[in-house]
Order: sequence, then C-alpha cells, then structure tokens
Amino acid sequence: MRARVGVLFASPGVLVLAGVVAFPLVYALLLSFSSYTFLKPTLTPFVGLTHYVEAFHDPYFLNAVKLTTLYAFLTVGMSLLVGLSIAVLLFQPAPGKELYYAVISIPMLIAPVGVALIWKMILHPELGIVTYILSRLGMNAPDFFGDPHYALFTLALVDTWQQVSFVALVLLAGLRSLPKEPLEAALVDGASFFQRFRLVTLPLLRPVIGVVLILQTIAELRTYDLVYVLTRGGPGAATDLLAYFIYRKAFLGLDLGGASALAYLLLFLTLGLVIFYYRRVFQES
Amino acid sequence: MKAFKWLLAAVLVLGMAQAQVVLRALMEDVPETHIIQKLLPDFEKKTGIKVEFETVQYGAMHDKLVSQLLAPESSYDFLEVDFLWAGEFPAAGWLEPLEPYVEKSGFDLSPYLPSMLDLVGYYKGKLYMVPMYNYAMGLIYRTDLLEDPQLKAKYRELYGKDLGLPQTLADYVQTSIFMKKYAGVAGAAMQGQRGDPNFMEFSNYVFGNGGDFADGSWHVTLDSPTGEQALDYYVKNIRQAAQKGALNANLDDTYREMCEGRAWSMITYWWMLPQINDSAKCPKVAGKVNLAVMPGSHGVNGGWGWAIPRNSANKEAAWKFIEWVESPEIIKKRALMGHAPTRRDALTDPDVLAKYPYYSAVLKILEGAKKVPIFAYTAEMEDVIGREVSQAAAGQKDVKAAIHDAAKGLYGLFKKAGLVK
Repeated sequence: MRARVGVLFASPGVLVLAGVVAFPLVYALLLSFSSYTFLKPTLTPFVGLTHYVEAFHDPYFLNAVKLTTLYAFLTVGMSLLVGLSIAVLLFQPAPGKELYYAVISIPMLIAPVGVALIWKMILHPELGIVTYILSRLGMNAPDFFGDPHYALFTLALVDTWQQVSFVALVLLAGLRSLPKEPLEAALVDGASFFQRFRLVTLPLLRPVIGVVLILQTIAELRTYDLVYVLTRGGPGAATDLLAYFIYRKAFLGLDLGGASALAYLLLFLTLGLVIFYYRRVFQES
Repeated sequence: MKAFKWLLAAVLVLGMAQAQVVLRALMEDVPETHIIQKLLPDFEKKTGIKVEFETVQYGAMHDKLVSQLLAPESSYDFLEVDFLWAGEFPAAGWLEPLEPYVEKSGFDLSPYLPSMLDLVGYYKGKLYMVPMYNYAMGLIYRTDLLEDPQLKAKYRELYGKDLGLPQTLADYVQTSIFMKKYAGVAGAAMQGQRGDPNFMEFSNYVFGNGGDFADGSWHVTLDSPTGEQALDYYVKNIRQAAQKGALNANLDDTYREMCEGRAWSMITYWWMLPQINDSAKCPKVAGKVNLAVMPGSHGVNGGWGWAIPRNSANKEAAWKFIEWVESPEIIKKRALMGHAPTRRDALTDPDVLAKYPYYSAVLKILEGAKKVPIFAYTAEMEDVIGREVSQAAAGQKDVKAAIHDAAKGLYGLFKKAGLVK
C-alpha cells in the first residue's frame, strides 16, 4: 500500500521528467537513424547507422572533434588555473572583499553574445584598444581572430575570461567549507604556505575541483555562441567547433537526421570525458 | 425600436470588422520595408484590405519563415524571400506558383530586368516570385586617389600605363596592390569572413574572371582554369592589398574601412554607395566615392522577391497586394523614396534619375549581373565554398586543392538536391 502511494506521488515528477528529458532524447535518437530533412520531414526511409558512418568519413567533422577536444582542455585548464588562483587570493583576509566579489562576478552575469561583442571590439585588428596600446608600445598587434595560428587560442581566452568567475566562486565556496584542523596542524608542524596548499588544501579540495572540471567540460564542449559571433568557424576551419558544425548541418544543410547523429556523437564524447574525470577524481580519491 | 436599430447597426459594424481581411507578413527591418510601410494606407484605402508587417533582423528570418511554412496554416499571407532561399522554398513545395495569378490579373512582367526574373522569379521554369528589390554587387572606389597626380605618375612609371578604373580582374588586383603600397591605404576593403561574406565576395571574382559555378545542366564548372585563377587573384588581393584582419572581416568592417578613408576600394552591394557618400556618416570620403560595374563586367546579382506561401489563408488578397506594390505608380513612388528597383522603367525614369544619378550605374550592374547557383542547398553551398576559399586565403590549403575541394563539395550538394546523378 505504501509503495503504491509512493508511486502515485512520484508519478507526476516522473512524467514531467519523461516529457522534458526522455522524449527529446529518444526523438533525436530516432531522427539520427532517419533521413529526416526540412525538405522532406518524415522519419522514413530508415537509414540505420549511415549518418554515424558518414560522420567518421568526413575530415571536417573529425577536425571539429579534434578542435573541440583541444578547446575544452584549453579553456577548462586555464579557467581552473586562474579561477583557483583568484579563489586562493580571495580566501586570504583582506579589506573590502565584497567589492572584489562583485567585480569578479561581472563576466558571469553577461550573456555570451555580449561577451563576444565586447571582445570583438577590444581585439579589433584596427579599432581595438589592445591594438592601439600595443602600437603605442611600438609593437605590432597580432590579427587575433583573422590569423589561423591565433584564432582558437584567442577564442579560448575570451571564453576563459567569462568562465573564470564561476570557477573562482565555486572553488572559493569549497575553500571555505574545508575543515580548519588539518591546515592548523600543518601550520603547527611548520609547513610553508605552498606546502600547506599543495599537501593539504589541494587534496581536500579535490572533490570540488572534480565537480568544476565536469561542469566546465560539459559547458565548453557545447560552445557555440562565441564561434557564431566572433569567427564563424574560420579562418579556414581553425575554430570550427562541434556545436557550430552541428548547427550548420541542421540549419544550412537542412539535414535534421544527420545533425541528430552528430549531436549524439557529441553527447558520447561528453559522457566519455565526464566518466573519465569522474573515475580519476572521485573513485581514486 | 430605436434600441433594435442600434443593436442592428452594432452587429453590422462588428460583422464588417470581422470580414475585413488582414494580411500579415514577416519583413526584414530595412529601409525598403519602411518605404512600403509609409505607402500602405493607400492600399488599405483602395482595397479595404489591412496589411500588418512583423519586422525582424535578417538573421532571424529564415528560421521563423521555415517554421511557419512547415505548419498546416501560415501566419504570413505573403512573404519576402531572399534569393538565397529562392531554390529551397519552391523545392520544398512551400510556395504558390504565380503564373495563374499573373494570367488572371494581366500583370505585366516585361518591365522586370531579365537578370532579376532569373534570380528571384523562376525556379525550374515556374514563376514563384515577383522581384521586389535588388542588391547586386559592384565596385565602389575612391575617385580622388585615382586622380592623384603623384600616384598617377608612379603607376605610369611602374606599369607603363595610366592609372584608371580597372576593366579586368587582373587590373583590379594590380591596382589594389599598388594602392596598398603607395597610397597609404588598403587597396581593397575585403570581407573575408568564412561563409556568406567571403562567398559573396569571391563569387564576384569568379564572374569577373569569366568563370561560373556550374553550367545550365548543373555540371560544376568551378574547377576550371578560370575558377582557379579567380581564387588565385582573390588570395593575392586579400594577402597583399586588403586591410589587416580581412580574413575575419564582414560587411560592417569593410564599410568602416571605406567610411574612414582607410581603403581605396571595396567589392560590395551597390546600395553601400549612398551610405559612404553621406557627409554626415562618412565626412572623410563623402563625395569622393563612385560606383562601377565589377571589373570583368560581371558581378553577383542579389535581391528579394514577393511570394505567396502555399499554406496562406488569403492567397487572392495577397496577390492583390503584390499587384499593387509592384504597380508602375507605386514602384515610382517607392523609387523616389530610395527603393532599389528591379524594373527597367524605374531605373530609367527621368525623375528617379534626377534624384539618384547613380541608378544609371546600377542599371549597368544589373544588366551584367550573374546569379550564383540557386537550389535547395544554396545556404550550405555558401558555407562549403566559403570554407575552402577561407582555407586558401589563410594558407591552410593551396589554391588548386581548395578550388578542387570547393567544386567537389558543390557537386555533392547538387547530387543531394537531385540535380545531377
């Protein structure tokens, strides 16, 4: 009887979850096995794994996978490094910390399209403030988004600028929740600041870092808006990230079946990395 | 009795109000739309049909239109369709063929320029649209630099001929490189960003060099010596004559370059001319800029057309609107208000020419303009060819391989569209 009541109470939530999460996922999976296009919007004929096989034979898709993985490592790595440094600095006693918190939160509050437009003008090859400052210093500013050697890295820097505030705030919350005793014991034992940080703080913070790593990786693998506003995947194919590649497949190629298959491959890539991090960070600790 | 009369009158008024046809359309938020909006009261007075425009930015139009066209009944009774979708929409069966309406109403198609009817009129021999306005591409250049005595002397010294308006693509690239070296400005403000910007720009090089993307049977001709040479010229110009950052520049960037007097030329939409010649917007160069046909006599044609969706509930009323808005009287009114005509009568009208003398150059541009392949995957074609052109320009691929891959990609899209086997 109690079990039945439990099922009854849980069923609205389960139904909502099924409608919101499961239905789109199952429908997208069905689409990925079909020849559904905007021109011929039907699920038949069934094409099986054709879209998946084609993806692995497309050098531009493989390039997008490679670039997206590299981009995720770059952005997640940089935001963790900078975010952790900021969190440690904010953890130290200092006057007017509220002001720092407010300032550090600003990038997080701006929409990614706004961030992209701001940086587009800052790094503009002729009108940008960075170009101006470098030229006043007698230096030749690089063509940040127009040179294929710099474009992906510049994109990653812009993204990092926005993501750092989230990472710093989460890590700061993590630092504040750490037990004080091990740190005090290390201090009594005469450990230096860096020894305490490396041997006590970092291992204790590992689960929080793990969460940030997983959340950021998921977010970075889906990067679309910055590419759309700043580079459109160019120059050449230098910033052709997966999410933008999938968007073009759907809305320029009108191929919803193919795009769904690529979206599933992106999901597998994301899941793969998340499982890898989860095992390394949580299970080993 | 009096109360009954009032009730009857109220019911009649309510009934009439309900019977009034209201036409709705999704329109791009550009001057052309605002011009027509100002004239709408005239249509409403004449026909009793009310017209409502929903104006949005270009980027939002395609997706909005597609979702409406896929629905059983569209919220839009007539459409304005960009030439880039002029293959996709009829191929999907979303548009009403217009021949029956033309025949029934005796609508005269003869004043329309053949290049415009070819671009946004017919698809596979059937009329689906009536040309609305054009945005063909040509060469905008600084006259003061071409007339500069020192530059003239230097050019003669270097090349043994007079500095002047280039007539061929080779001349244009040579003059651009010369200007970059000796005039202290970029020779060409180029929109090299991958996708629509670089595809549209590069297409002018293909046509200007005497090439084409495909022949009448959809046989790809891009992978030819003229196509390869066109890409070679494009790469040379973007590397040696263009402004810094050209590989990621779009239309706005090139406009700023010209407006600020930092470039000698740009290959762009002709309507850019009055913008740059506006002394309030571009005081540094206003009055020193002119428009010409793309070197090599052929540039890219562009434009919009009026169409009626198959799932419109008010097709007859929608045609009445198209008939009115494209009537000689309204066309002249629109042209005098700044409309970009698609009809010869408007482009040669003495009153219109007196107000906009450069329309004679626009007519020449339109007469020589060629269209890029219009089919179901035109938007994807821009992406595929734009990617290869960008790779060649960025030095990621050599010109021969890039043009070969662009042609291969184009063939793949023709095949996907069922145009070739």
